[in-house]
Amino acid sequence: MKTMTTGLDQGRLLHLYRQMQVIRQCEEQLAKSHQRGLIHGACHTYIGQEAIAVGVCAHLRADDAVFSTHRGHGHALAKGMPPAELIAELYGRATGCSRGRGGSMHLFAPEIGMMGTSGIVGPCILQAAGAGYSFKLLKTDRVAVAFFGDGAVNNGAFHEGLNLAGIWKLPVLFVCENNQYATEIPFNYAAGSPTVASRAASYGLPGFALDGNDVEAITAVAGEAVQRARGGGGATLIECKTYRTRAHAEGMGDFTYRTREEVEEWKGRCPIRRLRQRLDAGIGGPVASTVNGNGHHSPDAVDAEVAALVAEAHRSAEASPWPDPATATTHVYDESPRPSPAPPLPPGSREITMMKATHEALAEEMAKNPKIFVLGEGIGKRGGNFKTTEGLYDLHGPERLCDTPICERGFVGLAGGAAMTGSRPVVDFMFADFVLDGVGEILNQIAKMQYMSSGRIKMPILLRGCIGIGHAAATHHSGNYYPLYAHFPGLRVVVPSTPYDAKGLLKRALNCHDPVLFLEPRELLGIKGPVPEQEYEIEFGKAAVVREGRDATVVALAGMVRRTVEACTRLAARGVSVEVIDPRTVSPLDSDTILQSVHKTGRLLIVDEAFAPFGLGAEVAARVIDAGFDDLDAPIRRLHGAFTPTPYSPPLEKAVVPQADDIERAIRALLEE
Amino acid sequence: MAIPVTVPRLGWSMEEGTFLQWLKNDGDDVRAGEPLFVLEGEKAAEDVEALDAGTLHLNSGGPRPGDRVKVGEVIAHLAAHGEVLTPSQNVDSKPVPALAPPAGPSARRLARSLGVAIEQVSASGPTGRITEEDIRRHRQSVETVVPAVAVRNEPVASPRARRTARERGIDWKSLQGSGPNGRIRERDVCAAPARKTDGRLIPHTTVRRTIAARMVAGVTQAAPVTLTTRIDATNLVSFREQFKSTGTTDAIVPSYTDLIVKLCAVALRQHPLLQAQWREDGLFVPERIDIAIAVDTDGGLLVPVLRSVDQLGVRPLAAQARELVELARAGRLSAEQMRDATFTVTNLGSLGIDAFTPILNLPQCAILGVGRIVREPTVVNDQVVVRDRMTLSLTFDHRIVDGAPAARFLDTLRRCLEQPVPWLVP
Repeated sequence: MKTMTTGLDQGRLLHLYRQMQVIRQCEEQLAKSHQRGLIHGACHTYIGQEAIAVGVCAHLRADDAVFSTHRGHGHALAKGMPPAELIAELYGRATGCSRGRGGSMHLFAPEIGMMGTSGIVGPCILQAAGAGYSFKLLKTDRVAVAFFGDGAVNNGAFHEGLNLAGIWKLPVLFVCENNQYATEIPFNYAAGSPTVASRAASYGLPGFALDGNDVEAITAVAGEAVQRARGGGGATLIECKTYRTRAHAEGMGDFTYRTREEVEEWKGRCPIRRLRQRLDAGIGGPVASTVNGNGHHSPDAVDAEVAALVAEAHRSAEASPWPDPATATTHVYDESPRPSPAPPLPPGSREITMMKATHEALAEEMAKNPKIFVLGEGIGKRGGNFKTTEGLYDLHGPERLCDTPICERGFVGLAGGAAMTGSRPVVDFMFADFVLDGVGEILNQIAKMQYMSSGRIKMPILLRGCIGIGHAAATHHSGNYYPLYAHFPGLRVVVPSTPYDAKGLLKRALNCHDPVLFLEPRELLGIKGPVPEQEYEIEFGKAAVVREGRDATVVALAGMVRRTVEACTRLAARGVSVEVIDPRTVSPLDSDTILQSVHKTGRLLIVDEAFAPFGLGAEVAARVIDAGFDDLDAPIRRLHGAFTPTPYSPPLEKAVVPQADDIERAIRALLEE
Repeated sequence: MAIPVTVPRLGWSMEEGTFLQWLKNDGDDVRAGEPLFVLEGEKAAEDVEALDAGTLHLNSGGPRPGDRVKVGEVIAHLAAHGEVLTPSQNVDSKPVPALAPPAGPSARRLARSLGVAIEQVSASGPTGRITEEDIRRHRQSVETVVPAVAVRNEPVASPRARRTARERGIDWKSLQGSGPNGRIRERDVCAAPARKTDGRLIPHTTVRRTIAARMVAGVTQAAPVTLTTRIDATNLVSFREQFKSTGTTDAIVPSYTDLIVKLCAVALRQHPLLQAQWREDGLFVPERIDIAIAVDTDGGLLVPVLRSVDQLGVRPLAAQARELVELARAGRLSAEQMRDATFTVTNLGSLGIDAFTPILNLPQCAILGVGRIVREPTVVNDQVVVRDRMTLSLTFDHRIVDGAPAARFLDTLRRCLEQPVPWLVP
């Protein structure tokens, strides 16, 4: 294969050579360590592909962001991670780059712009696009790079991410390392078109197909792409044809899907040897006349220096302490200290709808904080299907009120990357049902990011959408979903039932550093309630005692709060006194307020429109039995929506949701117990 | 320095594999990247490549084809040319530690629930696995206490009602519940008058709980009726006096209880239904006559059993009874020694009691209460004479026998006791 001549001088070339050697020798050390049992999980080596990470990262600054894949050791090292931190992470040590929380597939060093490797194929493309969005919004010249394999390009994330980067001209390099096998599936089987680069045309991007083992060629093309991105010219797709010469993962068989001959042939095209031969032939000037950044004058000296570096990295990693098991659950949420919140404000006399209340909260925060931007379908000029952003486009323009194509996975994944890199995205789903196609981005990426990065990446992202049954919306516009999200560590899940709560909780969401699912009961959007005009926030994990009582406690959420109050008003006329508690957030869930109430009443009913199995009722009941068993004078009862998709026809629809009559009956039955 | 050749992990979860063969011989020069040996993991056999170069030194006692090897185990070394391996580099792999005996989950669960240490159980089956039956057998062999007959007719109270009762010093078990299925609720406790009495609580012992359960069963699960009769014990007293006056110091003198037990056996032979047992499908009549005697001990009432009383002479019976009483008072009776009596005799005579209403020990049909012997004036042939008199109290289960047959049994016993010699002399 012909090597592209780039005119790089001897010093630059020797630096590239050294970077490739660092990767190669680290990987060889890791392969040995895997055999010797020092690596406890998976280990995917980058051997054979070194030219790509090195050629691209040669142009990156520490504040540029790299998003990588499961085969990411080379990207981390090329971005500047010291070998000892990489090796210690794979050994599971406290000094590892992710402090032992990640391993091979979750390498994080945000301090140097290494924004993570991922065990899931595809999301890095969306996250890089999101970082590009942040850099553009914040008016910087930073760029983002996504490294991914050929296995990622037949995934929706590739299509959605490149399209979004294309239409918004985001400063991103999409670097496809086409090593020809997605684990064991050949690219020429999995793709209809023989090249990845040609797909760039579909998204209006420049695309380049390169020899992935030619570091000079990659350096040249990547350099131009980085310049283009920094200058506002938008994204570039670069396909680098290469080959991994070790198995997919250490310990796996390699010759069921490819031949020894093929592997041997590609070993012969080793990118490091290739550059070495060019250096030895005197390319870039006489060897002795230049000095590389580390003061080593010859490839041989570099080899020796790198060998000593890697040996020392291995030694120090093996000697490093294990992480403290007591810290296993830290960094699930943001742990930075916060001033204690002001006492709750009285509701006042002004009455507005919940829709208006959340609009006020968003408008006030957007005016204060230029890092906030909104993504969604029809939230720009149109002002949102539910008027969530009405009038804001005129104030803040299209970058901060950004209409999206219909690609929930794409823009949620992108928002995750934006949150990781300094902006504060608000994703408006319209209906919470719509995001289910992209829910992996929420559960696998957004929820886990703070933990995977041991708290060094914050995730200030607000995900909002309507929930709940009503208006014959049928089953794709009526789901509740909060039990699903509440199951996962890393998320805050807010379900307001009054305009007052909605505004205070949305304000809190826009000032905290955790991902927040803000789920708005659609049936309540137009109902008015008192909301103060002054500034206020409501803490997460503080339930509201909606109504005080002594005979029984009812925990109700969202639309069920009003119906429960209606039932209790009827019962009060007969002398029955019921306490009603609205948790307001289901993650965190305020057990204390519920327990205090049950301590008083001895009886508990949970009323929830969502499904019963593994739901709010089960969780509240379990917590009360754990901590308040002796307070119970009767079995705990649950009243949930029917366990069925939502029907369309009004009589059917009414039958699957608890009504005030049902609630009244359930309370009476509880009092008989 | 020699580089160890270790067994690699093939796939994520492999802990052990099967060594299939060396692809190089001892002493061969190996280049990095050359296939070195074949290892079978969870999915397939793989050629394992050498990561380093050197001269291959196989460990003596290293794996042979087909051997199981553990991940990380050192099976050879790669040495530099001319390097001599030190003995520590050429040692056999570590022995595998002994494993706990294999047992299925159900056997483990049973062991947990019965409190049996599974390591102490030996397996009986050909596979060497411990079965549920092995656990039960093991437990029986070490069991020393009688499993109490659990009586669950207690009232039910809500947790809150129980707590309130505790706080107010009210015994909620004495309350009437107003909830579903009679559940006692907090309101029922609040309605009860608070009772605060000075005193102390003696925690229940296992023996106390067992006695309580059996006594409650004797009055709630049967139809007990008590008959009493006065008998003339003059001859019985005189019979026993003869033992006393003729015996040496260490010869055993039968107690009144011993003599009465023996005579009960005589009467039971004639009235076998008095030791019949109520079963769902009929009355079971035991063949043997095994009579329990009630013994008062510091730990509570115990009932050791004399076996085949009708077959025993008076002296052996007395010897056995004495031994059982001593064991009972020392707290050393085995469960076996208290099991399966067909009739019970309880004697409160030494404590000055004349008559009482003994409680059945189910599934027995009857129990005889023995009162004290009193010398008193009696009318015999219209003459007032001094005689030894005592009262017998027989409680029987009216489900099993009616009043008349029970009375006939008691009358037979009376006659035996009044004329004991023919029945007591072999």
